[in-house]
Amino acid sequence: MVKIKIDEDACVGCGSCVEDCPNDVYEMDEAKNKTRIIKEEDCMACLSCHEICPAQAMEHQDIHVAKRLYIDRKVNNTINKII
Amino acid sequence: MEMELKEIRGTFKPELIPPECGGGIDDYEEALHVLMKFVGSMANALEQVSGRGANAIVYQAGKRMGHDAGKLMEKTDNLENAMQELSQILGKEFYFEMWKPSSQESFTIERSGETEVKLLFRDCVVRQTLRRTGLPQKGPLCYLLYGYMVGAVEEVMDIKGKLDINHIGPNACLKTLTINWGGK
Repeated sequence: MVKIKIDEDACVGCGSCVEDCPNDVYEMDEAKNKTRIIKEEDCMACLSCHEICPAQAMEHQDIHVAKRLYIDRKVNNTINKII
Repeated sequence: MEMELKEIRGTFKPELIPPECGGGIDDYEEALHVLMKFVGSMANALEQVSGRGANAIVYQAGKRMGHDAGKLMEKTDNLENAMQELSQILGKEFYFEMWKPSSQESFTIERSGETEVKLLFRDCVVRQTLRRTGLPQKGPLCYLLYGYMVGAVEEVMDIKGKLDINHIGPNACLKTLTINWGGK
C-alpha cells in the first residue's frame, strides 16, 4: 500500500494538493493551516500532488514509479554524479 | 561538434536476415527520442490545424488500429480475461491495471445495461513522448491510445465501448472504460 509523508515544516498550506487530488486523499487542517492525509488507501500514485506542490513537501513510498524513457541517460548520469 | 560514428561493414545478401540489427542502447535511445519529437510535433501541428477535431481524427485512427490488433486475440465475454488480453496487446510499455476506490466493493459497476471499470495506466509511452516534447497531456496523442483501447476491447468482446479520462498525472492516468453489452 502507498505510504504518504508530508513534511509539515515545508508545507505552506496552499491547498493545491487538496484541490488537485482526484480521490480526495488530502484535506486542509484549518487549525494548523497544513495539508492532512485522510484517505491514504485511495491514493493511486499519479503524483499530481508532487507536481503541483510549490514546496515539494510530499513523499510517496512503495509506489510503482513509471518509466522515464524521455530523459537522456547521459544527462541523468551527470546529474546523479553532481547530486 | 564532433560526432562519433561507428560504422558497421559486412556482406549483405537481400534474402538473408542480418544476424544483428546494429546499434547499441545509445543508438536506440537517440532513435526513440527523435521519434518522440516527431510524433509530438505532428500531434501539436494537427491540433493547430484541425482544432478540437484533431482528437476525433486521432481517436478514429487509434480505434482502427485497436480493431486490427484485437482480431489476433481470442474472443471472450469475461471482462477480466479481456483486460488480460488487452494488456498483452498493448505490451509492457502501456502497463495498466484495474483500479477501484476503497469504498467500492468490486472493480466493476453495473449501470443501466452498461458496465464500468476504472483502468489505471501506470506506464505509458504517450505520456513520456508528451513530456519529452513539453506538450500537455489529454491532447490528440492521448486519444490515439484511447481509440486503440476501445477498438481492441470492442473486437475482443464484441461489444460497444468507450473510454473517458478521469485524471491525468505525471506518474499514472485514470480512465473509465464503459462497456455497452448491447453489442455493436
